[in-house]
Amino acid sequence: MLRGISAVILCVIFTAGLFAGAVAPYPYTKQFRERVNAAPSASHWLGTDSLGRDLFARLVYGTRVSLLLSPAAAFLSTLIAGVLGGFAGLVGGWCERLILAAADLSMALPLLFVLLALRALLPLNVSPLVSVIATFALLGLLGWPSSLRVVWATTKNLRNSDFLLLARATGCGRSRMIARHVLPNLRPVMFAQFWISIPLFVLTEATLSMLGLGVMEPLPSWGNLLRGLEDVSAVSTNPWRLAPLIVLMVVVVCFQLILPTPEETA
Amino acid sequence: MRARIQIIGSQLLTLAALGLFGGLLSASLVRFAPGYGVDERELDPRLSQASVEAIRNSHRLTGGLLSYYRHFLASALQGDFGRSEWLERPVSSLIKERFPVTARSVVLGVTLAWATALGISLSGLFFRGFFLDISGTLASSVLIALPTAVIAVFSVYLRAPVFLAIAVVMFPKLFRYLRNLLAEAYAQPYILAARSRGIGRARILFQHVLPLASPALFALFGVSLSMAFGAAIPIEALCDSPGVGQLAWQAALNRDLPLIMNLTLLITLLTVAANLLANAAHERAL
Repeated sequence: MLRGISAVILCVIFTAGLFAGAVAPYPYTKQFRERVNAAPSASHWLGTDSLGRDLFARLVYGTRVSLLLSPAAAFLSTLIAGVLGGFAGLVGGWCERLILAAADLSMALPLLFVLLALRALLPLNVSPLVSVIATFALLGLLGWPSSLRVVWATTKNLRNSDFLLLARATGCGRSRMIARHVLPNLRPVMFAQFWISIPLFVLTEATLSMLGLGVMEPLPSWGNLLRGLEDVSAVSTNPWRLAPLIVLMVVVVCFQLILPTPEETA
Repeated sequence: MRARIQIIGSQLLTLAALGLFGGLLSASLVRFAPGYGVDERELDPRLSQASVEAIRNSHRLTGGLLSYYRHFLASALQGDFGRSEWLERPVSSLIKERFPVTARSVVLGVTLAWATALGISLSGLFFRGFFLDISGTLASSVLIALPTAVIAVFSVYLRAPVFLAIAVVMFPKLFRYLRNLLAEAYAQPYILAARSRGIGRARILFQHVLPLASPALFALFGVSLSMAFGAAIPIEALCDSPGVGQLAWQAALNRDLPLIMNLTLLITLLTVAANLLANAAHERAL
C-alpha cells in the first residue's frame, strides 16, 4: 500500500520535472522586479524569491535537474560497480584483490572531502550547465565502492554455485555463461543498488549546492533552492521557502519506501 | 603471538602504503591542476624580465611529477606539508590550529550518536516495545531524508553545538544498521533456546546478542568516523566553526589545492587508522 502511494507520488513529481516547460507558468530566470519576496498568490503559487523569480517555476525546473540527473549518476556508479565487481568476483586472484583494495581505499575516503577536492580542480566560474554535469559526473564516478562490494559478493556466490559448475561441466563458454547465467542473476542486485544510490546522490547534490560547490545559479536545483533557508529572517516571514525542502524530503522518503527488501533482492 | 605480530605488521604496512599512494594522488592532482606553477607576480609590470624569469625558474625546480612527489614526501617526513596558497601560511600550522576543534566535535558527535542509536536499539529489544521501535524508525526516516547542510542550518537557528548536529546526521544511519544487526542476532535459534530456558533478557543481550553482532559493530565504528568527518564539512562551514571541515570548504572555494589535498590525505589516514584499530580491538576481544 505504502509502496504504491510512494510510487504514485514519485511518478507525479518525476513527470512534473520532465515536462517542466509545460508545468511551470514562467521561465525559471524570469524576474518580476516589482514583486520581490512576494507571498503565494494566484499568479505565483509559491511566491517569489529575493530576485523576484517565481519559486514554483524554479522548483519544477530544479526537480528536473535533481531528479533526472541523480538517476543518471546512480546509473554510472552502478555500472562501474557492476563491471568491476562482476569482473573481480568472476576472475578472482590478484585482480580481485586489487579491485577490492581500491574499493576499500575509496570507502575510507570521506566522499564529501573528495568531492570538494575534485570540484576545487575545476574553476568556480564555470557555466551552469558544466557545473551540473561536473557535479553529477563526480557523484557517479565516486559513488561506486559500496555497490561494488555487494555486486562482488553476489558474483562470487554465483561463481561457486552448483548451476554454474554444471554449466561449465557441460562446456558452456565463458561469454555465454556470463550473458545467460551470471547477468540475469546480478540484475536484481544491481537494480537495488541503483535505487539505493538515487536518494543518496539527491542529498549529496543538495549539500554541495548549499555550500556553493554544486549546481550554479541561475540554473535551479533542489540544492541551490535550499540556499534560501540560510536567511533565517526570510524563512520565518516567508515559510513557503520551505517548499523545496519538503519536496526533497518527500522524494527521499518515497525512494526509501519503494526500495526492494533484501528478501526481494535475493 | 607471532600471528598477531604479523597481523599488526601487515596493517601498519597497509597504512604506510595508503599514505604513499594517497600522497602520490594528492601530488598528482596538485601538479596537474590547471594553473599550477603560474605565479600572478609574473603579471606585475614593475618587475624586470630577469625577475620574471627568476620566478619562472623557481617553479621549474619542482617541474615533473616524480620530483614534485619526492619533494612533497621529503617535506612531509619533516612535518612540512607545504604552504596554503590562499592563506599564505604553512599547512601544518593550519592543521595544528584547526584539527582539535573538529576532532572534539567528531568524537563527541559520534559518541552521542552511537549511545543514542545503541540505547534505542537495545531498549527496543529489551522491552520489546512497539512504541520505541516505531518512534526510532520514524525519527531515523525523517532525519535521513534531510541533507546535512539543512541540519547545519537548523542547528544555527537553534544555536545547537556542532557536535549535536554531527550526532543528528549520524544517528539515522547508525540506528538503521544497529537495529537490523541486533534484531538479526536476537532472532538466532540459540538465543530462542536461551530465552526458553528462562535466562534473563539483559544477560541474553549483553552476553549473547552483543558479542554475536560485535564484528559488524567494530566495522561500523570505523565507517562512522569517516561519515562524521564528511558531515563536519557542511556543518562547520554553515555553523562558522573554525575546524578542519570549514577549512576544507574555504580551501575548495579558493581553489587552494595543496591545502585541501593535505586535509583529504590526513582525514583518510585517520579513518584507515581507526578502521585498523577497530579490527585490532575486535581480534583482541575474540
